[in-house]
Amino acid sequence: MKFKDKHRFVRSNMKRNKTRVWMTILASTMGCAFLIMLASVGFAIHKTAVDDVMSYRLMNEIEIQSENGPLIEEDVKKLQVIKNVKAVSRKKYVPANELSLGEYTVYADVSSANMPSERKAGLQLEKGRMPKSKNEVIIGHHFAQELRKEMPENFTEGMSEEEAQKKLKKLAYDGDLLNKTLTYHMKVDNPDIKTETQIKTVKVKVVGIKKKPNKEWIIDSSVMITDDLHGEVMPLLSEIDPELKNSDDSYSAVKVYTSSAEDVKAVSEEIKDKGYLTYSVVSELKELNIYFTLFKAGLIFIGGIAVLIASIGIFNTMTMAVTERSQDIGIMKAIGATPRTIKRIFLLESGYIGLWGVGLGTILAYLISYGVNFALPIIVEQFLNEKPPEDFILSYIPWSLTIIAVTICMSVTLLSGWRPAAKATTVDVLKALRRDV
Amino acid sequence: MITVSDLSYAFKIGKKEKENIVPVLHHVDLHVAEGEIVAIVGRSGSGKSTLLNLISGFIKSQTGEIIIDGKQVSGFSESKWAEFRLEHLGFIFQSFQLIPSMTAYENVELPLVLKGVSEKERKEQTIKMLKRVGLEQYQSHYPGELSGGQQQRVSIARALILNPPLILADEPTGSLDSENEKELLNFIKELNEKDGITFLIITHDHEVASIAHRKVEIRDGYLREGSKLHEVQR
Ligand SMILES: Nc1ncnc2c1ncn2[C@@H]1O[C@H](COP(=O)(O)OP(=O)(O)O)[C@@H](O)[C@H]1O
Ligand SMILES: [Mg+2]
Repeated sequence: MKFKDKHRFVRSNMKRNKTRVWMTILASTMGCAFLIMLASVGFAIHKTAVDDVMSYRLMNEIEIQSENGPLIEEDVKKLQVIKNVKAVSRKKYVPANELSLGEYTVYADVSSANMPSERKAGLQLEKGRMPKSKNEVIIGHHFAQELRKEMPENFTEGMSEEEAQKKLKKLAYDGDLLNKTLTYHMKVDNPDIKTETQIKTVKVKVVGIKKKPNKEWIIDSSVMITDDLHGEVMPLLSEIDPELKNSDDSYSAVKVYTSSAEDVKAVSEEIKDKGYLTYSVVSELKELNIYFTLFKAGLIFIGGIAVLIASIGIFNTMTMAVTERSQDIGIMKAIGATPRTIKRIFLLESGYIGLWGVGLGTILAYLISYGVNFALPIIVEQFLNEKPPEDFILSYIPWSLTIIAVTICMSVTLLSGWRPAAKATTVDVLKALRRDV
Repeated sequence: MITVSDLSYAFKIGKKEKENIVPVLHHVDLHVAEGEIVAIVGRSGSGKSTLLNLISGFIKSQTGEIIIDGKQVSGFSESKWAEFRLEHLGFIFQSFQLIPSMTAYENVELPLVLKGVSEKERKEQTIKMLKRVGLEQYQSHYPGELSGGQQQRVSIARALILNPPLILADEPTGSLDSENEKELLNFIKELNEKDGITFLIITHDHEVASIAHRKVEIRDGYLREGSKLHEVQR
């Protein structure tokens, strides 16, 4: 029997009991849509988490640490010679963080950096240029808004966060800081040391302002000073706080940048072989992926139960179809239909029911997914008076999920149609022929 | 055409513990030559249908041997039997056994469909066959919309469509009135003479004389060769 004829035969059989067939399709549709929807939440959370990790870190960045304490210049030299290493960024933290401009003051993260390697690592400026001489610095994008006049006491008391922010903004420096000269106060964060001794100051000139971070919520008010200035500041500081002596040649943060994200794995391995500890987005993603893959598998498993329940419907429908048509089957067998032909016909019928269910279920899932992602932020805003995080999605259906769901649904369908189809082949010809004699 | 040797058959009734064995056929030997019309006669319950069902492969015996058209069919698997029936055997049943949800055309076409014949060829042959049994204007009727005689002609058309060398018929005239019965027997005779089709027919005594060349009688499961009635024409 040709496939085309089987198809025609099955279609006319299905038309004979439309309601039953459609009800079964409906059940499969719901099972399939439920599976996809449930799993899509897991996929959405995973995607959000991955996007999040990748948004504030660079894919080609590897953080380096050592078990034997902070890294020094010698370590950097070792790292620089590794193949596919584009740049080694190294920063030295400065334990004094007060800067001022007239009556405006700010407490900022101050660190020294090797400027050429920062440039190679991908540092971008919004304005100005990289420092060329000792007392030139670059500042973070939000430095100006953190540079404020002194706050009167109880200034923001009893205010909502929003109001407080607004009021603080009024105190902030509003003007261009490029080419302005700031005063850097040598104050150390050590309660044992009296403030009177901390009178040493250094003048620094802002020559560049860093680009705005690519995430709304990242506040960058850091200050980057040159290595040379660091070399001058540290002795001043250790005069105030002797404990800081000898710490000036160690780096507080060393990061390796590879030529491309693909090189991260190999470079990480090599760095590890040299006895360092590495940390990269790639390795974080790996852990994240393992965790979320398990999570998604769990959701798919639960969704699969819905598909199983729907498959009971298919089993029922097919069993009834076989019983109803046992006379036809008997006649066909008597004439010369092989058991294989009979089985194929019934498998095809359950296959069609499954295909319809999967097709409609997938479409339904996509529609619900779009609807939910569209409507949920609106609802959240309406009822909770809060803006949901940007790029928020509750449901995400990648191609892989569709393929997984279709595979599960079709396998379960064919499995549930298998027994009725096998039963059809065992119909006794004589019993079937004896119907009305 | 058919050679049956030492064929016995017993029905098993009841559950395993209380199984009852009912012997129906005992050491049957039968030979049907090509081009013959052989009538099987005997009282009701004597085992006529059982013999025909064994020759059709609807039931299987552990003992004995059946050779049809030179093929040793006893021992065939289910699918082998199905393929063999499609190619070599035509069936005419007392109760016609048409598929009620299919039109006369579709019922006649069914063996061609099962064989995988192309649509164009199928149409040609089916129309030709319907013409031959005089039912072309009834081709889109369902079996329920046809008289008994017409239904039987549809079932004969279906039996003939793949040109089988042998047709097996279990009381083919049982549901027909005398006029239709006569017509059918004449048609069988014509098919035998013109197309050389061999017939093995279970029938009642009084009809036999008109068409069968030979009759065999089954009595209590034993087969006895009856008298020769006519010479085979060819
Ligand atoms: N399916 C069956 N199960 C048990 N016994 C059967 C079955 N079919 C027929 N028999 C028995 O076998 C015997 C022969 O039946 P059958 O061949 O149909 O006779 P006939 O066709 O000559 O009237 C009868 O006694 C009948 O009761
Ligand atoms: Mg009988």
